[in-house]
Amino acid sequence: MTSLFFKLGVLGVLAVQPLHAVKFDDCYKVEDIKLPAGVPPEVGAIDFAEDGTLFVVLRRGDVLKAKPTADPAAFDWQLFATGFDNGCGLDVVSPTKIRVTQMAEMTEAEDTDGDGKADSFTRFAHGWGLSGNYHETNALTRDGKGGYFIAVGTASFSGPTFKHTLGTFSDAGRRGRNYSAVKWKGWVLHSDAKGNITPWASGFRMHNGIYQDPQGELWAGDNQGDWKAATPLYHVEKGKFYGHPNSLVWDPAFTKSKDPLAYYRGNLEAYNKDRTWAAVELPHMEMNRSAGEPMQIPAGSHFAGQMILPDNNGERVTRLMLEKVGDTWQGACTHFIDGRGLRSGNHRARFTKDGKQLYLGQTVRGWGIPAEGLQRVTFLGPVPFDIDRITITPDGFKVSFTKEIPDQLKDAKAWKVSSFTYQSKWTYGSDPEDKKEHKAGIASSDAKSVTLKFDGLAQRRVYRISFPKCDSTDGSPLQNNLAFYTVNSVPGK
Amino acid sequence: MRKSLTLLSLCLPLLAKEPLLTFDNQPMGTIERPLVLRSYLPDPGLEDAVFPQHDTARKVSKYNPGPGSDVPGEILPVPGLAAAIGVNFGPALSFVFDTTEARLMYAWQGGFVDMTPYWGDVQKGSRVSFDYVPRLVGTMFFKAAGKDPIELGGKSISDLGPRVFTGYKLDKGVPVFAFSAGETRFTLALTPSDKPLSCDLVLTSSSDAPLTWRGVEGASGKGKLSFTLSGTEIAKFQGYQRDNKITKASAEAGEKLFGQYGCAACHSIDGSKSHGPSVGGLAGHKVEIEGLDQPVVADTAYLLESIKSPNAKVVKGYPPNYMPPFGLPDVEYDSLILYIQSLAQPE
Repeated sequence: MTSLFFKLGVLGVLAVQPLHAVKFDDCYKVEDIKLPAGVPPEVGAIDFAEDGTLFVVLRRGDVLKAKPTADPAAFDWQLFATGFDNGCGLDVVSPTKIRVTQMAEMTEAEDTDGDGKADSFTRFAHGWGLSGNYHETNALTRDGKGGYFIAVGTASFSGPTFKHTLGTFSDAGRRGRNYSAVKWKGWVLHSDAKGNITPWASGFRMHNGIYQDPQGELWAGDNQGDWKAATPLYHVEKGKFYGHPNSLVWDPAFTKSKDPLAYYRGNLEAYNKDRTWAAVELPHMEMNRSAGEPMQIPAGSHFAGQMILPDNNGERVTRLMLEKVGDTWQGACTHFIDGRGLRSGNHRARFTKDGKQLYLGQTVRGWGIPAEGLQRVTFLGPVPFDIDRITITPDGFKVSFTKEIPDQLKDAKAWKVSSFTYQSKWTYGSDPEDKKEHKAGIASSDAKSVTLKFDGLAQRRVYRISFPKCDSTDGSPLQNNLAFYTVNSVPGK
Repeated sequence: MRKSLTLLSLCLPLLAKEPLLTFDNQPMGTIERPLVLRSYLPDPGLEDAVFPQHDTARKVSKYNPGPGSDVPGEILPVPGLAAAIGVNFGPALSFVFDTTEARLMYAWQGGFVDMTPYWGDVQKGSRVSFDYVPRLVGTMFFKAAGKDPIELGGKSISDLGPRVFTGYKLDKGVPVFAFSAGETRFTLALTPSDKPLSCDLVLTSSSDAPLTWRGVEGASGKGKLSFTLSGTEIAKFQGYQRDNKITKASAEAGEKLFGQYGCAACHSIDGSKSHGPSVGGLAGHKVEIEGLDQPVVADTAYLLESIKSPNAKVVKGYPPNYMPPFGLPDVEYDSLILYIQSLAQPE
């Protein structure tokens, strides 16, 4: 009898748990990829060769390669090259040729004799300085024409410069917290296919990750800190200034002052006018503390065309839902994966060719408590119940979901909308200002979406949208119930 | 040898074949497989004249991002090479080639670099805030001074136009650096020499003009020069000095120091041969010494002398000058000796 009762009990549970309910573990698998024992897994950069070989640049100088295997502990790692200084940008040109942005230059390493190891190390691009500060790492993305965009990070006042610097030294550039004592610190540079560099855009603090998407749009994150209120995502365009003043000492077109730090310290009105604002601001505690490399989710997977943004200082990866309003990029962010076995230190991202696996390179050593390694997220196929997309309307937001929503979410009482502004300035990060609550009504809803309507939708504000955790109509648990939308432009206004 | 790897290689044949950088903060290559390490590297008191293609940094006021203003105090620039390449052949030879000056900066023997202040320890990854430049280990015998010693047609290449580093190729693992001065292309390779405090150089030039290395007799020719660069002891370095806070000597403390000072890179503890004699089964046993007819007993006095002045009694079959003299607090000498004595009977 007991046994029959127990069986019935189990059947009862199955009855209330629909068979097609989809949980996180049905959708994603997070795995640690083991590097050789004893090797510091400080992953500066990762990239795949056309033949699927994964190359990994370790920050102490080694470059390893392996064909990925189903078993995350069974990669047959081989040493491809060594001798790179803190390489944090990698392009695998072919299975025998790579290009790495290291501290002082971008280097091409090639295996010319076919023994599997690089034997030729040629300077590919150079022309940025190096002050001797520990913070001056660089990242790269392909420009689609055989060249690159290179993100040249600033130095930190938590370390010195050397007496003798590579490149011209600027006293005004050296001032302040994060600094640009030598050329092109805080800039995006363009390198043509021959390695000739030209300055492209200024005002970055630590754009630890730059990315040109398949549509040709250029994106860079940055790190919350001085002149960065929160972690931003920028749409990068030639000639624009993205808000960190010190880089302007190298801009001959900036003639307002010889000391841009002091100039904008005393004139926030001019600062707000001169800078290009973030496409998305990612609140520091709730979303992302330090942006890694942005990467578009490829076709074939849910959320295709959206972007992920690794958090270098949190066990999480952000998902960005971008849209263009007029000629302005903006959009929403929520978590892609928060916790679930992810390490912190998320820094570099690559999808496999089939788009089914996301590799994440992780490192923090020297900047914070080490969180070093390589992980991968496998898309198992099923779609989780989650926010699918948030788009702006003239007086609110349309929030779409991946699955049919319960009636609870079609009721205005479920929704909380508030907003605030961020003023980037000299302080290390900025608190939200001018906070407002918005009483949201439901303008319309259908099986999988709700359109919210409220007073007070305005540009240069960040909107916090939250609602209760609930299950979809098929019983799938909701993954995320919090998102932030950065409004740079209101449609129709 | 990269020592952590040596231990690992027992169970990981792949790694034995392909030495990788490990958590060992004193990485080293071998004669067969030199290690190329690109990093911030020390400036061991190089004169300003060797930096014509660098700029000179200046001090800056301390700054507080809270108010966004300068505060009392200033930060001074520190010595260091920003864009240099270190090469190590094990204890036999280390040198630094600077890519900004396209020039050999200094060379030494008996060790390589101690990356501890830069790479930090495994758990904390703790860089030493304003003092993170790695430290040298060994005996320096060459240091650049004045204009570039490479002369073409009787003129230093410092006067031929900008010197531009273009890269390097590995020839059987040995880096051959390529650079130009004005219109002329050069390559330079260094390898260990049989002579103490020396290294062998091969220098090539794309020009037919007479090529010389200033200051080395016989180092002249056309197109290609091979010669030995010999020096004298300029300075000795022993890595990053920590305050180990050891109050009482013990074999346990000695074991820690043995790893910390990189002794294990050259001295096995199990009697097996390495760059230096094993310390396993050494204490209390007889040792054959170069130049002495009778063996000596490795007593406490011998062990102390060998740590303080490694060249005083060189064990037969091992080269002199490989091991730097270690100037340590007495409690650390005593601990190392206790540790070596604890290994008197190898396991």
